[in-house]
Amino acid sequence: MKNIKLKISTYTLCTALAIFTMVSCERSLDELEPASFPTTAEVFIDAFTEGLNYGAFGGSKVTAFDVDSEVKYKGSASMKFAVPDAGDPQGAYAGGAYFTSVGRDLTGYDALTFWAKASKSATIDVVGFGNDFGESKHQVILRGVQVNTNWQKYIIPIPDASKLTQEKGMFFYSEGSEEGLGYTFWIDEVTFEKLGTIAHPRAAILEGQDQVISAETGQNLNIGGLKATFNMPSGVDQSVEAAPAYFTFSSSNTSVASVSSTGVVSVISAGIAVVTAKLGEVDAVGSMTINSTGQTVGPQTPAPTPTIGADSVISLFSNAYNNVTVDTWNTRWQFSTAEDFDLQVAGNDVKRYRDLNFVGIEFTSQTINASAMTHFHIDIWTPDPTDLPAAFRVLLVDFGANGTFDGGDDSSHELSFTRPTLVSEQWVSLDIPLSNFTGLVNRAHLAQLVLSGDLPNVYIDNVYFYKAGAVVTTGPTVAAPTPTRNSADVISIFSNTYTNIPGTDFNPDWGQATVVSQVPVAGNNTLLYSGLNYQGTQFASNLDASDMTHLHLDFWTNNSSSLNVFLISPGPVETPFTLSVPTSGWASVDIPLTNFSPVDLANLIQFKFDGNGDIYLDNIYFYKTGGGSGGTTPTTAAPTPTFNAANVISVFSDAYTNIAGTNLNPGWGQATQVSQVAIAGNNTLLYTGLNYQGIELGSSQNVSNMTHLHLDFWTANSTQLNVFIISPGPAEKLFSLTVPTSGWTSIDIPLTAFTPTVNLANVFQFKFEGNGNIYLDNILFHN
Amino acid sequence: MKWNHSILINSLLVIAILFTSWSCEDDENAVIDRNYQLVWEDNFDGPAGTLPDAAKWTYDIGIGPGNDGWGNQELQYYTDRPENVSLDGAGNLAITARRESYAGRAFTSARINTKGVFDQAYGRFEARLKMPWGPGIWPAFWMLGSNINEVPWPQCGEIDIMEYRGQQPNLVHGSVHGPGYSGGAAITKSFGFTNDRFDVDFHVFAIEWGKDYIDYYVDENLYQRIKPEDVPGEWVYDHPFFIILNVAVGGNYVGFPTTQTPFPQQMLVDYVKIYQESN
Repeated sequence: MKNIKLKISTYTLCTALAIFTMVSCERSLDELEPASFPTTAEVFIDAFTEGLNYGAFGGSKVTAFDVDSEVKYKGSASMKFAVPDAGDPQGAYAGGAYFTSVGRDLTGYDALTFWAKASKSATIDVVGFGNDFGESKHQVILRGVQVNTNWQKYIIPIPDASKLTQEKGMFFYSEGSEEGLGYTFWIDEVTFEKLGTIAHPRAAILEGQDQVISAETGQNLNIGGLKATFNMPSGVDQSVEAAPAYFTFSSSNTSVASVSSTGVVSVISAGIAVVTAKLGEVDAVGSMTINSTGQTVGPQTPAPTPTIGADSVISLFSNAYNNVTVDTWNTRWQFSTAEDFDLQVAGNDVKRYRDLNFVGIEFTSQTINASAMTHFHIDIWTPDPTDLPAAFRVLLVDFGANGTFDGGDDSSHELSFTRPTLVSEQWVSLDIPLSNFTGLVNRAHLAQLVLSGDLPNVYIDNVYFYKAGAVVTTGPTVAAPTPTRNSADVISIFSNTYTNIPGTDFNPDWGQATVVSQVPVAGNNTLLYSGLNYQGTQFASNLDASDMTHLHLDFWTNNSSSLNVFLISPGPVETPFTLSVPTSGWASVDIPLTNFSPVDLANLIQFKFDGNGDIYLDNIYFYKTGGGSGGTTPTTAAPTPTFNAANVISVFSDAYTNIAGTNLNPGWGQATQVSQVAIAGNNTLLYTGLNYQGIELGSSQNVSNMTHLHLDFWTANSTQLNVFIISPGPAEKLFSLTVPTSGWTSIDIPLTAFTPTVNLANVFQFKFEGNGNIYLDNILFHN
Repeated sequence: MKWNHSILINSLLVIAILFTSWSCEDDENAVIDRNYQLVWEDNFDGPAGTLPDAAKWTYDIGIGPGNDGWGNQELQYYTDRPENVSLDGAGNLAITARRESYAGRAFTSARINTKGVFDQAYGRFEARLKMPWGPGIWPAFWMLGSNINEVPWPQCGEIDIMEYRGQQPNLVHGSVHGPGYSGGAAITKSFGFTNDRFDVDFHVFAIEWGKDYIDYYVDENLYQRIKPEDVPGEWVYDHPFFIILNVAVGGNYVGFPTTQTPFPQQMLVDYVKIYQESN
C-alpha cells in the first residue's frame, strides 16, 4: 500500500482557461549575491536610465537616433531610428551604442529584451550589447533582425551571464537603407531580464567546422566564427555572435600551439595540436587541428640569375625580365591544398608553395605564344627529402586556337622529375626542351602551368620560356630605372631621360686599357666599360654643380670586384667614392656631393672610374633635393584602362561613366587635402598629406558580379597605403598597396580579398589610409 | 489526441489560452489523502539501445490506419526501431523523432501502447517525463478506451494526461475527448511556467481518475478537475483504458516543424506507474 499525499487546490479556478504558475509573478532579484556594481536591468523604458550615454558610430548619420513620445510600445516614449537613404550626405547608415560610464552587474539576467516595430518590413543589420566604445570585450551581435509594422518582442540571449560583472555596453545597433531607401524603426522597453525560458545552450567556434590547418612555427591563427545558440521561449533556436571573452579556449598540446584568451593560436613547434573551446560548461562544436611542420626551412641564397637575353625570353616570374601577365599563381582548384606566399631571398623575389599537392597557375586572360621558344625554365628549391620515388611534376596546358578551355583543341603534357635531378636544399634549375612535352601539340595559346608531386614545400623562381641558341649576353636584360627627378633640378651627363650637357668626351685618351662603347639595353642607350682598369670622362667646359646636392648613377656588373667613381676639379683635386660590386641587377646610387670634399664643386672638369670588370652605366647626373618639386609629380597620365565599359562600374575615371553623386571628400575628420589635378590632360585625384580619406559612393553598389577592384596610383613619398572597401555595418577590410611607386602602378585586386567581411552586394564607401601624397586614377570595379 | 477539426479552431483555442490572465493568487490548497496501490510499472531499466520490455509494450507502426497521419495529418512514420524507441541505459526510455527520409515520410518517430497488455478503469496514472523541443514537436502521454475496436472514437473516450507543443516549451495541456466534445471541442486546460520549461528537467504528469472526476496534475500541482457536468456530452470514462506514449511531428494540433526545429528530438520517460485506489 502506497500512501500518496498531494496538495490539491480547492476547485475555485478564476476562469475555465486560467493557467497556474509555479512561482510568483513578481520577479525577485533578492536572491542575487551582493555586488559592488549596480544590477540595474533597465536600459531604456521611457527615457535613458541613469548613467546611460549614447554615441553614434563613425560615418553614420549622427541624428538618426531620437526619443519619440508619439510612437511607443508602452509608457510615454520609445527610441526612434531614422535610417537614412543611401548616399545621405550626413551619413549613409544609422548606428550607435548605448553605454554606461559605470559598469553594471548583469550576472542575474539571461537576456536583453526589447520591443520593436518599423515603418515598413525590414531587416535590421545588427543589434546587440557589449559595445562600450572601448574594448567591447563581451560584445554579442544578433544579425538580420526582421521587423515589420507591428510591435514584436525580441530577445538577445546572454551567452554566459557570469562574465558580465561590470558591463558598460548596454545596447547597440547598426542599419543601412533597404534597397537604397531609408525608413524608420522604433525600439522600446529595452531591458535585461531573467526569462528562465531560454534553454539548451550550444556553442560553436569556426562556425562549427572542424578545420585542419597546416602551419609552421611563428604563425598566428585566429579562431573566429564564435557563436552561441539558445532555444528561445518560442521553441526556435537563435544564434548570436559572441566575443571570445565568453569562451574558454584550450589546446591539446601547448608545446605545439598555445591559444590566448582571445582565441589567437600561436604555433610554437612541430607536432599536432587541437584547439577547442567551451562556453561555460558547454563544449563548443568546431575545432582547429594544427599540423605544425615546425621551423621553416628555405633558401638562403637567390636562385642563379638568368643569362638568356631578354629578346629570347617570355618570362612568367623573374626579377631578371619583364614578366607577362599571370592571372594567378594559385587557382585553388578543388582538392588542391597548396598555399602560396611571395617572399624575398636576399632581395630577390621568390614564390613559395606550402602543402603543395598540386597547384594551378593560370595565364588565361593573355595566353602565351611560345611557338618560337625551345625550352621551359624553372628554378626550384625544396627542403623536403628527394629520395626516390619522390617526384616533382610540371604540366603545361595549351588552350588551342579558340584560346579557351575545352572546345576539343586543348593539348597538354606532364613531365616528372626525380633524383638525381631533384636535390634537397639546393636550387635546381630545370631547363626542359619543349619537345619533351610530347602531348603538348600546340604552344601558341599556353594558358596553364600545373606543378605537383611529392614535395609539399617548394620555392620557385625564374619561370620562363626561352629560345636556346640565341646570343647569351653577360649584360643587363632590362634598362636602368627611368629617373623621376624634375629636370629643372638636374644637370645630366648621361641619360636618355634628360637633356645632357653638350660636348662631353666619354673616352678621352688617358692611356687606359678600358674599351668604351654605348649599347642599347632594352632600347635604352647605356654606357659600357669593358675590361675596366680606369676610365675618364672629360666635360666640354667647367661645370658648376655647387647648388646640386647629389650625384646619381645607375650601374650593373656581374664580374667586377672593385669599382670607384671620382669627381675631379683643377689641380687636379680628386676624391673617390667606392661602389658596391658586383651588382644584383641594376644598382642605383645617390651619392651626397659632400662625400667628394675637398673637390671644388663649382669647378668640375672630369669624372673618373677605376676598378675592374665589365661595367654598364646609365643615368649619370647631378641633382638637388628640397623645394618639394623633385620628382613628386607624375609626368604622364595613368594608363588608360581597356576594360569593356559593359563590364565596369567606375568610381573615378575619365575613361568611363562614373557613378553619379559620389562624394570624393566626405568630412570624416581627416587631415588629408583632396584635390583633382590634370596630369598630361587627364583628370587625377590627389591626396596631399594623407592620414585617411573616405569616398562615399553616390549610391550603394552591388559589385557581387564584379571580380576585381582596379586602381592606378602614383606616389613618390608614401611609405604606407591601404585601400578599404566598405559595406554598411560598417564592414570594411583593407588591402595593402606597395609604395612608394616607380611611376604609375596599376593593380587589379580580386574582390575576394575583401570578402566575406565586406558585403559586395552593398558597397557604399571607400577609404584610403596611410601617409604621403598620393595620385589616384581609374578607380573602378570590373569583371 | 485525435483531432479532426480545423487548424483554425485549434489556433483560436491556443490564442484563448495565451490571452487568459495568468493567475497570481495563491491557491487555496487543501491536502487530501488518497490511498493508492501500485499495480503496474515500468522503470525502463536496461542496457542502452534495447527496445522496451515486450511484455509491457506494443507498437503502432506507420502512418495510421487511414493513411492520414493518425487522423491528424502528422508527418512522421512510426517505427519499432531502436533509433526511434529504446532504453538510454540511464533508466529512461527515449522516444526519438528524427528528420530522415523513411517509407515516403520526412520524419520518423515512435508510438508505444499497452493495448491488449494492460488496461484499467480508474486509479492514478503517472509518468515522469522530460520533453523534447522545437516547433512542430508534439509529444503526448495519453489513454484510449480499450473498447475502441468495438466502439469507435470518440465514443470509446480519450484521456490526454499530457500534451505539449514544442513551440510553447513552458506549457502542457490536459484534455478529454468524448462524444460531442472531441477534437477542437475537447475539454482541455493548460498548465504553464512563467520562468521555466518542460524540456530542461523531468516532471511528473498524472491523472487521478474516479467514477465522477478526472484530476490533472503536474508534479504536485492539481490544475484541472473534469466532472460529468463539465462535459457537454456523454461521460464515457467508466471502462478500462490503455496507455499510449508517443512523439508526433507536425499535424493539426502543433503545426509544421520549421527549418529551425532541431532534430533529433527526444522525449525521455523515467517511469510509468499505474495505481488503484484502495481503502
